[in-house]
Amino acid sequence: MRRWLLAGTVGILVMAAAAPALAADEVSADELLADPAAFDGVEVVLEGELIGDYGFRPDGWMWTQLNGDSYGSDPVAAGGALTGGNSGVGIRMPEALGRPLDAPGGYRQVGPIVAVTGQWRFHDPARGGESYLDVASLEVVAAGRAIDDPANGLVMAIGGLMLVLGLASLATLRRSRRSELVRRQPSG
Amino acid sequence: MLIRPVADDLAVIAHYLGRILTVVAMAGLLPTVWAAIAREWRPLSGFLVMVGVLLLAGQLLLRAGPRQPHLGWSHGMVVVALTWIVVPAMGAIPLALSGHYANFLDSYFDAMSGLSTTGLALIQDLDHLAPSLNFWRHLLQFLGGQGIILAALTLFASGGVLTLFEGEAREERVLPSVGSTARFIWAVAAAHLVAGVLVLTLVGTVILGFTPIRAVFHGLLIFFAGFDTGGFAPQSTSLGYYHSAIFEGVTAVLMVAGAMSFGVHYALWKGRARSVMANLETKTLLRTFFITLALVFVGLATAGLYGSVAGLSRQGLFQVLSAHTGTGFATVPSPELATWGGLAFGGMALAMAFGGMGSSTAGGVKALRVGLTVKTISNQIKQVLLPEGAVVGRGYFQGSEQRLTDEVSQSVMSVTLLYVGLFLAGAGIAQAYGVPLQEALFESVSAGASVGLSVGVTAPTMPVLLKITYMVQMWAGRLEFVAVFALFGFVLSWIRGR
Repeated sequence: MRRWLLAGTVGILVMAAAAPALAADEVSADELLADPAAFDGVEVVLEGELIGDYGFRPDGWMWTQLNGDSYGSDPVAAGGALTGGNSGVGIRMPEALGRPLDAPGGYRQVGPIVAVTGQWRFHDPARGGESYLDVASLEVVAAGRAIDDPANGLVMAIGGLMLVLGLASLATLRRSRRSELVRRQPSG
Repeated sequence: MLIRPVADDLAVIAHYLGRILTVVAMAGLLPTVWAAIAREWRPLSGFLVMVGVLLLAGQLLLRAGPRQPHLGWSHGMVVVALTWIVVPAMGAIPLALSGHYANFLDSYFDAMSGLSTTGLALIQDLDHLAPSLNFWRHLLQFLGGQGIILAALTLFASGGVLTLFEGEAREERVLPSVGSTARFIWAVAAAHLVAGVLVLTLVGTVILGFTPIRAVFHGLLIFFAGFDTGGFAPQSTSLGYYHSAIFEGVTAVLMVAGAMSFGVHYALWKGRARSVMANLETKTLLRTFFITLALVFVGLATAGLYGSVAGLSRQGLFQVLSAHTGTGFATVPSPELATWGGLAFGGMALAMAFGGMGSSTAGGVKALRVGLTVKTISNQIKQVLLPEGAVVGRGYFQGSEQRLTDEVSQSVMSVTLLYVGLFLAGAGIAQAYGVPLQEALFESVSAGASVGLSVGVTAPTMPVLLKITYMVQMWAGRLEFVAVFALFGFVLSWIRGR
């Protein structure tokens, strides 16, 4: 009995020690883009917003982009701060994983924030040297949501007024030039 | 002695500038209607302000000018140079009001980059940008590539406007009159627009699996940026977003079509392909393309960046094509492109600097100038090596048999040297800010040759002076210097003339 207990304890300790090694590395999109070759073939966990389009292709894969920047949680339209350009990588997953997802991010839409686990394929020879994350599993961290991008009433009013004035000015100029032409034509 | 311009000179310039601003205002109505239909209220307010400003400024200038002014050479050049400063400033208004730019300078930078068909960008969070604004960014590239002046010419063609046409770096008249040439150029663009958008949309829906509306959106924007060798893209990852060799292939056809002169389009349309192939310009373009492609292939292979021939070929070919046509689409992210050292870097930089054909939407030194520069240098060497009194052949074929006179040689060499100076000046300023030489040179050539590929130097955080430097490079490079010098001369005459 004692021997069994000891073996069990050792077994649990070994598994616990090995767990971090077996688990996929958590990386950010910036880290992946900074040194993509270093992660070639490595299983990684990447978190971010699914954005752009969901391309469901005839071969059963779904392609999209995962952005790891701050705009997924704080988009500009919702008053989020400007923190630079987007930081995204291409990902593909089996169609079945992608079908239930909320709409991808875009204008007035924050896409679902997901944590995807998969193998980073750097310059994949099978895909003509493309680099992308081959997703095996996906966990939705936050659902997609619609955001508002309200107009500034004052700017809208000024713009509308300027447009009307500009069009009116164009019309009067054309009319005056046309009547000038008519006056110049010899009568009879 | 410098002669100070008189009020009449200003009135003539004002008149033509007014006409052009009015045409741009009309173009600005397209994204305005888009925003209104799509209920994109914030972008709509920006477009209303922009169109209003363009219309009011245009009418004000038109009223200030005489009824039927005579446009002299220097007037035309000044109008062109001013157009390419004023239009992006006004075109930047909706971008600045979108909230996607840190300040007005950044949105002005992007509008200048769009209009000059460069493609470098300082926009932040592009992936959440309103579609109408994205459309406007790409429409700016179409307007700049086809030529704003050309649009004005099509609508208001009248006597003395040839200088406007030439000022926009279009020396070639395909048909006898400027008006008919302008209409031909629009016809070429329209034919490519219909075919290009249709094919890209088909690829988008059938192969990429996009929804039909999104496929049309991507197709339209990629057409604008591809055919006009602009390089903006609807998504932040540029052409790499699509992960499709077929999509890249279709885009490559559009890029090549954009980099061909409209004279070549006309000759091909008339079935004169043999004559096109005999042109010095075509031969030079093919030679420089294959030389730079070989450099990039050898460079990438030596560095071991790609594990397969297929990968190296596809990525290398597309990037060289993108650089040589002056488009700037990327399938390789900027940080990775920055690691392309040695021969691959040299090949890319040279491809960007050489550019496409003259009178096309491409930038750079241009193939004919490169060909004539090489011919001038080789003639000089032959003259030294051959016995005294020996005659060196100076003929070349470009549409017909031509003679390389000293005057032509001097003019070609001057512009080539000016481009080299422009590239070095931009690189020098970037270096002064601590940017490594290779990256500084790459980004400078990209800006000056209206390409738009980036190794990461262009960013919202870069120094203000560097942003202005790249803007000046885009402006001067796109106009091929003549109009720029005419404007400086005009201002100098105004200040110091009598």
